[in-house]
Amino acid sequence: MKNANLIAMFFLSVALAAGMTGCKHRSPNVTSIPDNGGPPSNSGQTPGAGVGEATPNAITSEPIPLDNGAYAPLFNGPHNEDREKFQADTIYFDFDSSTIKAAEEAKLQAVASYFKDNPKVEGLIIEGNCDQRGTEKYNLSLGERRALAAREYLANLGVNPQRLKTITFGASRPVDSGHDESAWKKNRRDDFVLVTPK
Amino acid sequence: MKINYQPFLIAILLSIGSVTARADDQPIEIRKPTTYVVPVSISDFAGEVDSVLKFDLSVLGMEITSPDKAAYLITGSQNGRLEGRLTAAGANQPLWARAYAGGVARSQAHAFANDIAKEIRGTTPIFQSRIAFRLQEGASTEIAVSDFDGYNARVLTHDGTLVAGPCWIPGGRELLYTSWTGGGEEILAHNLSSGQRRVFANYPGANLSPEVSPDGQKVAMILSRSGSPNLWVCNIDGSGLKQLTRTRDDDSCPTWSPDSQEICFVCRSGRAELQKVSVSGGPARAVRVAGLYGNLTSPDWSPDGKWIAFASGSRNFTICVVPAEGGDAQRLVEGEDPCWAPNSRTIIFGRQVGNKRILCLLDVPTKHVKDVRQISGSCSEPSWAR
Repeated sequence: MKNANLIAMFFLSVALAAGMTGCKHRSPNVTSIPDNGGPPSNSGQTPGAGVGEATPNAITSEPIPLDNGAYAPLFNGPHNEDREKFQADTIYFDFDSSTIKAAEEAKLQAVASYFKDNPKVEGLIIEGNCDQRGTEKYNLSLGERRALAAREYLANLGVNPQRLKTITFGASRPVDSGHDESAWKKNRRDDFVLVTPK
Repeated sequence: MKINYQPFLIAILLSIGSVTARADDQPIEIRKPTTYVVPVSISDFAGEVDSVLKFDLSVLGMEITSPDKAAYLITGSQNGRLEGRLTAAGANQPLWARAYAGGVARSQAHAFANDIAKEIRGTTPIFQSRIAFRLQEGASTEIAVSDFDGYNARVLTHDGTLVAGPCWIPGGRELLYTSWTGGGEEILAHNLSSGQRRVFANYPGANLSPEVSPDGQKVAMILSRSGSPNLWVCNIDGSGLKQLTRTRDDDSCPTWSPDSQEICFVCRSGRAELQKVSVSGGPARAVRVAGLYGNLTSPDWSPDGKWIAFASGSRNFTICVVPAEGGDAQRLVEGEDPCWAPNSRTIIFGRQVGNKRILCLLDVPTKHVKDVRQISGSCSEPSWAR
């Protein structure tokens, strides 16, 4: 009796295994489906299930609507743009990410301090950029997300968000046009441009 | 001895259910004429007429060969006007003979090729249609239009800054695109006849990726005015602006369903995936794309509604198609920025060759690729006028 059950379990597991892997297990009158492989072993990506509903992502803080309000005349009217002032504070991002890394926070704090200590009518343009990987429309959106991430961070440090304007260049303004990671990581960045009235 | 048969039964049922019974060892293959490479011969023509016929028919997966190997023979004469005949191999009489007059030799040849294509492939004519694309020269990018094969190219902008994502308003007279001339990203409407342009959208933040609905009534765009790049839609006159997505992740790349009721787009939540949302609002839902790993971007919905083409990958992209309702993806060819032709069979796309990008034409059923005529500069983001 026990043996019969064991034999049954054996066939059961073989059938299950055949069904799941599509291996060439020959049963009478059926033809096995060739194994079509799984994800490339060195892809480094986890296969997305891709089924079911898009669940809304947990929002940890609210996006800040864009409206330059009182600073609109500064940005829209004649003004000077100074790229040197915050050149050393350019922040960098990981591939395909718009998350502010811990190592970059000190630079954002330096930028925030300037504005908090400075009562003058000055603003900041945050320029979001990507490396060349990614199609152009996708990169424009990712670059904008990177600029917005810095804007949110600065606003949370107390800078009036109306002083912070974002712009995206996608992958169109690389600092290094090389085709490897040493170049790409220099391009995944937000640059900060000080805006002063003319 | 009492034998428990239940596990046996389950095992048998599982083994039947997990493989598909076939009558013989070969997989069932449904062979449709549209997927065949059709051999044709082209005789009696010279110069541009000959080269146009060869190019156009190759675009639809026909192989140009000698008359003895051809399934169809294309013959005729060119004396000011073009006369063309299409004969099936072995037939005594042509299927038809037509004369093409007016215009220039290229146009006449394209018209002849359209008629041949309709006979052999049964598809909507595309050989007299136009494309718009982004042209990079040095550090700046401009908008250009040309014939679908790259001839008669015309650069439309000379702003010396950046542009992106041209899209046609149905009718082929006006384009929308994103321009950085105003100091930020705004969407301009550009009339091709008059050369006049006006601001279509310049909301605070980014105004990106305009796409006009097939019925010409609405425009989808990516705006970041809410603080995150989201999908918005408005009427073609700019009124009735409505926000369709509200997540914190960046949305990009809208494309319309042929009935103008739904928009497929890319949402980067974790990895970039395809989602769909109704133009009347409601939650977005994922498009199931089986068999691919990594980012999926740049979707384009075929005019007949059956397929969504897109690019898969990150550094090196592959053009793929998936059934529009979701399902198994098919990988087609290396490339990015796919855009369907009106015939739902040809895709124009971009690929990298050396240090520049060129535009190419893909015949989806046969996977034949023809390069569009090269113009100087790097070309990307093609949009096919419908």
